[in-house]
Amino acid sequence: MKARVPILFACGILLMIGSLMIVHAPIGEAVATIFQGSLGNLKKISGTIKEMTPLLILGSAVYLALKAGLFNIGAEGQYLVGACFACQTMVMVPGPVGVGLGCLVGIVTGALWALPAGLIKAFRNGHEVITTIMLNAVAANMTKALVAGPFKGKGQLVPSTAVLPVNSQLTPLFTFRDLEIPQSFVIGIVVVVGLAYWLNKTVAGYELKASGANPTAAQFAGIKTKQVTVKAMLMSGGLAGLAGALQVAQFEHRFYDGFATGYGFDALGVSLLVGSNPLFLLASSFFFGLLNKGGTALSLIGVNKGITMVVLAVVIVMFAAVRYGRKQVNHG
Amino acid sequence: MVSFLLQIITMSAPLILMAMAGYMSERSGVINIGLEGKMLAGCFICAAAGAHFGAVGGLAFAILACIALSLLHWSLTQMYRIDHIISGMAVNLLASGFTGFMDSSGIWKTTLTDSQRLPLPMYYAIAVISPFLLFAMAGRTQFGLRHKSVGSDPDKARLLGIHPQRVRFSALIMTGVFAGLAGSLLVTETSGFTKEMTSGRGYIALAALILGGWRPIPATAACLLFGVAKAVQIRFSGTPIFNFDIPSEIWNMLPYIVTLLALAGLLGRNRTPAGLGKH
Repeated sequence: MKARVPILFACGILLMIGSLMIVHAPIGEAVATIFQGSLGNLKKISGTIKEMTPLLILGSAVYLALKAGLFNIGAEGQYLVGACFACQTMVMVPGPVGVGLGCLVGIVTGALWALPAGLIKAFRNGHEVITTIMLNAVAANMTKALVAGPFKGKGQLVPSTAVLPVNSQLTPLFTFRDLEIPQSFVIGIVVVVGLAYWLNKTVAGYELKASGANPTAAQFAGIKTKQVTVKAMLMSGGLAGLAGALQVAQFEHRFYDGFATGYGFDALGVSLLVGSNPLFLLASSFFFGLLNKGGTALSLIGVNKGITMVVLAVVIVMFAAVRYGRKQVNHG
Repeated sequence: MVSFLLQIITMSAPLILMAMAGYMSERSGVINIGLEGKMLAGCFICAAAGAHFGAVGGLAFAILACIALSLLHWSLTQMYRIDHIISGMAVNLLASGFTGFMDSSGIWKTTLTDSQRLPLPMYYAIAVISPFLLFAMAGRTQFGLRHKSVGSDPDKARLLGIHPQRVRFSALIMTGVFAGLAGSLLVTETSGFTKEMTSGRGYIALAALILGGWRPIPATAACLLFGVAKAVQIRFSGTPIFNFDIPSEIWNMLPYIVTLLALAGLLGRNRTPAGLGKH
């Protein structure tokens, strides 16, 4: 059994090298481009931080659900719905008050979007992955219809809301030459630290982890696991909605068709790489941000971004193999 | 009217083949959210190999590639015991990344001429026959019963001397065959590969499978239902019904919402195979 994991690693690395070789891309140059494109200078580091910010909050959302034993693939949909309604709120209520209100709306709508998945999981035993996949598809279509219809901004040629008024756009918290630290990034760090505290130091966090680790044992210990499931889904959806709202306020300044670029799925990868300590979310989302930003640089030299997806798939599988390999049970 | 019927067949045939692919895997206990990726890989390989080796070669390579991807899924879930969701996601990522990457590199031609395409009625015939074949297989053959038993309770199956891993191996090969057929059908219809051309069909097929309670014939009926919804959408898009122009997005949402209702238990009892995702 033990020899198998190294074989998997070897296959994964061969796969990555092989796919670069098929298209005759120089491997060394490709790796150098990824690092130069993401960390080469202060401006590129800012770009990496920009990519990292939504992943940080979405990663926390998915991680929280994962700790309760739930795969929240629906982060993508909750992020979209949160961003869409938050954006419309910020367009209607300008100024800092609107931003606060928008974030609140984002949290509430994101949580509501996750609620059906939580309820179906807790009371009908329907797999949350299936329900959230369905909810994602509904969210994508619904937000598209909304920005093409009722939410469409005046004078917008493509399906999109109006651009946020200048006083509702979040400015960078801190600027040093080309290096920009966005406010949403700081909020993201606060979320991660808060989550770490909540999971490890509070009763509710303990109950959530317990029912994720062993639902039967948790139930016998007097934890209401069904309520915990619903609560975990709500919180996870709320965080995902917050990520959407902040993305609108800080970076995008409007909501349009095609707003989601797969952050929700990357977030699942982010949280899978994190072990038991939530603070590793910072490192994990940094890695994903780096790959995203570096992948863009890679596509400029003619290697399609798809290769970064292959890398992600390999990395996720390797991590999962190592983690599950340890507690293998041997059935025939 | 004939064109409308043809539209329904065009829309539902790939879904039926994909739902059968899902049936083979899910009924044996392997959660398969990797259907989307397998279908996409089938599309790409059929287009690339078809342009190079001709029509039959295209289909053969598509099926082989999908079998390979399915067996990768098998080894990840059964040998390494990686969570089925994670491995399914990895399959999707691999397929989506690899096809996008190969397609934009342009080293393989991915458009087909008429002589490089197998006749569409052949695929439609397979789509019509296969649910009945699988239905007969499930109830009447040794493999069918074993297939069902490992999906329902792998531990009890083990006590009866059945090896769940081996049964799932065969089941996932069948999944690969169906996924390869579905991918080839899609490419044959459009005569070329475009990025992300499956556009969620794998997930819709999964939805149909769930709606059909993990049974081949009801799942086919669900596929037909979704096919009709899609055909109606194409037919009536732009023409207001009762003075109200329904956005096409509403029609696109329909399969997913119906499936959610089914999962919520509002449409009959929950028929999830009990051994789904267990080892």
